[in-house]
Amino acid sequence: MMQSILLPNRYKVIGWILLIPSFLLGLYLLLFGFEPNWAKAKVLSIFPNNLMGEKGFFKMQEINITQTLIGVLFIIGGLLIMFSKEKIEDEYITKIRLTSLLWAVLINYSLLIVAFVFVYNLAFISVMIFNMFTILIIFIIRFHFLLYKNSKNLVSEK
Amino acid sequence: MKNRIKIERAILNITQDELAKRISVSRQTINAMELNKYVPSTLLALKIAKIFNTTVEAIFLLEEND
Repeated sequence: MMQSILLPNRYKVIGWILLIPSFLLGLYLLLFGFEPNWAKAKVLSIFPNNLMGEKGFFKMQEINITQTLIGVLFIIGGLLIMFSKEKIEDEYITKIRLTSLLWAVLINYSLLIVAFVFVYNLAFISVMIFNMFTILIIFIIRFHFLLYKNSKNLVSEK
Repeated sequence: MKNRIKIERAILNITQDELAKRISVSRQTINAMELNKYVPSTLLALKIAKIFNTTVEAIFLLEEND
């Protein structure tokens, strides 16, 4: 079935190792706006459009890549967690996985509708930043909550 | 849908864990099926019937509202 696109279980650990620090750093970045000077790098920008006037396509730009790094690491970590097999991956776990994904997409877009209606102007940028990560976050929470609920049932049953 | 997995398991005198290992699924799956929370695939149903040495129909039964 969908086993073909899932990674072995050990990648899940790598996912958590990437996700947790980048989540904390990302939170810190959002709250206090920390962008260390050493994190500057020349990058290839497909569509540069800064206020200084430089426009065009495929230009090299010097930019602080703190956000880039944190964002990329967070998404890779989240994807590794999402797409790694459980220790015993069977059809029931697959079902939990798929229902969690449905949940995540539904809640994500419900929240986005609320944000569209009630958040305006510059504040909406924060909504968009959060929205880049909410599907991953909601999926991971829902999936592990269901697994936890099931394993709790096991203890009471014999 | 109802099933007789728990009863058949008691007759064979094996735990959820042992049954899970024999058909290579997690114990959670056996538990969910016994609690009627999960309807297994045809493949898994056939495997279960094989372990209990009977037919699928003898273990899985339709209910009125199915």
